Amino acid sequence: MVKKQRGLSLFCINDNQDLLIEILTRLDDRTLAVASTVCKLWRELTRQDSFWEALCFRHVSPPRVRPVVAAMGGFRRLYRVCVGPALARLVRFDSVWTREELETQLQRLSLSLFSVYYYERLGARREDGRATASLMFLGEPVNVK
Amino acid sequence: MDYNKKNIRKRPDRPLPTNPTNATNPVYSCSSSSLMAAKESKIRDAGGMDELLADLGYEVRSSDMADVAQKLEQLEMVMGSAHQEDSGLLSLLSTESVHYNPSDLSSWLESMLSEINPPEFSSSTITTTATTLDFPNFPKSTQIGQIYDEPSSSNYDLSAIPGEIVYGERVKKKAKHEEEEEEEEEEHFVVPDSCSSSTNCSIVVVDSQETGVRLVHTLIACSQAIQQDNLAVAEALMSQIGPLAGSQSGAMKKVAIYFADALASRIYKLKTGTSTSTSTSSSTNHLSFSQIFHHNFYRSCPYLQFAHFTANQAILEAFQAKSKVHIIDFGIRQGTQWPQLIQALALREGGPPTIRLTGIARPDSGNPADSDPLREIGWKLAGFADNLRVGFEFQGVVVQSLADLDSEALRLREGESVAVNSVFELHELLASPGSVEKVLGLVREVRPTVVTVVEQEANHNGPVFADRFNEALHYYSTVFDSLESCGGGSDGQDLLMSEMYLGSQIYNVVACEGADRVERHETTAQWKTRFLSAGFAPVHLGSSGFKQVSGLVSLFGNGDGYRVEENNGCLTLGWYTRPLIATSAWQLTSNKKP
Repeated sequence: MVKKQRGLSLFCINDNQDLLIEILTRLDDRTLAVASTVCKLWRELTRQDSFWEALCFRHVSPPRVRPVVAAMGGFRRLYRVCVGPALARLVRFDSVWTREELETQLQRLSLSLFSVYYYERLGARREDGRATASLMFLGEPVNVK
Repeated sequence: MDYNKKNIRKRPDRPLPTNPTNATNPVYSCSSSSLMAAKESKIRDAGGMDELLADLGYEVRSSDMADVAQKLEQLEMVMGSAHQEDSGLLSLLSTESVHYNPSDLSSWLESMLSEINPPEFSSSTITTTATTLDFPNFPKSTQIGQIYDEPSSSNYDLSAIPGEIVYGERVKKKAKHEEEEEEEEEEHFVVPDSCSSSTNCSIVVVDSQETGVRLVHTLIACSQAIQQDNLAVAEALMSQIGPLAGSQSGAMKKVAIYFADALASRIYKLKTGTSTSTSTSSSTNHLSFSQIFHHNFYRSCPYLQFAHFTANQAILEAFQAKSKVHIIDFGIRQGTQWPQLIQALALREGGPPTIRLTGIARPDSGNPADSDPLREIGWKLAGFADNLRVGFEFQGVVVQSLADLDSEALRLREGESVAVNSVFELHELLASPGSVEKVLGLVREVRPTVVTVVEQEANHNGPVFADRFNEALHYYSTVFDSLESCGGGSDGQDLLMSEMYLGSQIYNVVACEGADRVERHETTAQWKTRFLSAGFAPVHLGSSGFKQVSGLVSLFGNGDGYRVEENNGCLTLGWYTRPLIATSAWQLTSNKKP
């Protein structure tokens, strides 16, 4: 969006990071991931956990979750490893429970599984080579990087 | 178990009605009425020609019958496939090829087949029984699969031929030509002319469904023979099981092989009089086996995940508002149950308690490369808890058997709320009389707030071997089925390891006796009786727990067949209608005893 006024002032979104952040907050997971490939600034910004936290916990605002998740690797990883795949399944999953109920459960379940994932990787450095993928029984193979 | 649908049996004394007059009509064979008519009559040798077929207008020598049957089969399959794909072949046959004298079936078939098949194709006939398969020079990667769907298959009544025809394999990527690539996804069967010319493509008709049922019957019959100490019969049956098992595919095959193997061992042990309790060596073998593979089993299917989750839920609820907690884990293994609990406790209302974990392990457990695997696990868990700002202490206890434990070793402290957790550990105690009562007594002594128990939901501890065998066969068939659908993610090795883990259990249930037989699974009802008589009362696993774990299994479980059910306060995870593992929780009936 470029506005030329008397040939001098141009509007560049990268100069207005607050605006940029506001926009990024409203994106979904895939768009956010794509946005991280635009330029270095965008990459830095989108890697901030706050965006991913919003994606993980849309309805429930957890008081103590933040330090716990941060300790286990951050919301972005939590999303990628647990919440994302589960949400994808949620779409094609019909059950007797309401959507909100299921999403609440999903967050709790994701945290549980994430803790296992993190625990397994704790010892990974010491083990021989192969990084453990404790969530292998998930439908999609989990990228352990 | 999915059985293939084709059912072709061949017997040498029945004629084969077909309709080869119009080449554009696919030769889907017989009308049922002519078949029925054929069934009632007898074949009389009139001038070397089969009389029945002569009545229909065909001249076939009785001696050629087998050959003719075989060729008709081939032809039919080819035309069937051609009909499905495109009519190129049929138009070729109808317009360009010349057909001679259809009433001389034998040579007519020859001409038809040579039109269709490339010259190097040769159908060799092998002398085998109807259920055996033989693949001379066949590429190892191919697998016998379903032939095709035949609407009138029930009436199809080909005679058995001394030679067998192999046909149609679910061609895997390794043994393929480029043209076939696109057919692969449809699991299309292969027309003979696309067999690799180097292989001697022999065609065998496999009736998997029938052999599947036969296989099960033979296995059970063998176990009954063993039960009756009739080892000669058992051995005879064993020799049949091999080829039958080979004819199956997928889960059924693996199960059959494991059970057959175990049966063979049992027969051998009984024959040679090798004492089945050959000291501790085989039991420790089984133990280290299970230690190694337990880890992989965790990853490839949701059973352990279910177990841990439900047990943790119960412990979490029991530890509400407690500030100092002590968990005694009867089988710490890799400690994978506990991170979830620590995390859940870290996030609970009012903050986390200080946690103490006593992990009980067996000697020779875990990774032999590590000098002290238990310490390793403790370190990991402590590191984990530390990251989450949860006060944590770990102690490890190594014992040969749970019955050797005493309260001294557990180092109990005042003011702690204790939970005892046992995942697939208790059934082993049933191998030595009095052990389980001793352990339950110890548990009482500890005065736990909750005792969580996860066990297999099956009775593999009956006194009669044949019944045990039957139960185990059905149970493990179901488990293998579920594993099959899991697929093991991207790493087939985990699946393989899980199967070996289960295989070692199967071996133990079937081939071992006495102190060696440690896989003494019992049903929840049986355990309930034990716990009730030991002074425990059941704790109802709440509906919230049920909801959560159902969500877990459906959202994160791989495979659609898993079912979570609640049964008298216990939660079970099963595959379709069969519950496979059950979680139950217990508390002391009275708190008055000091």
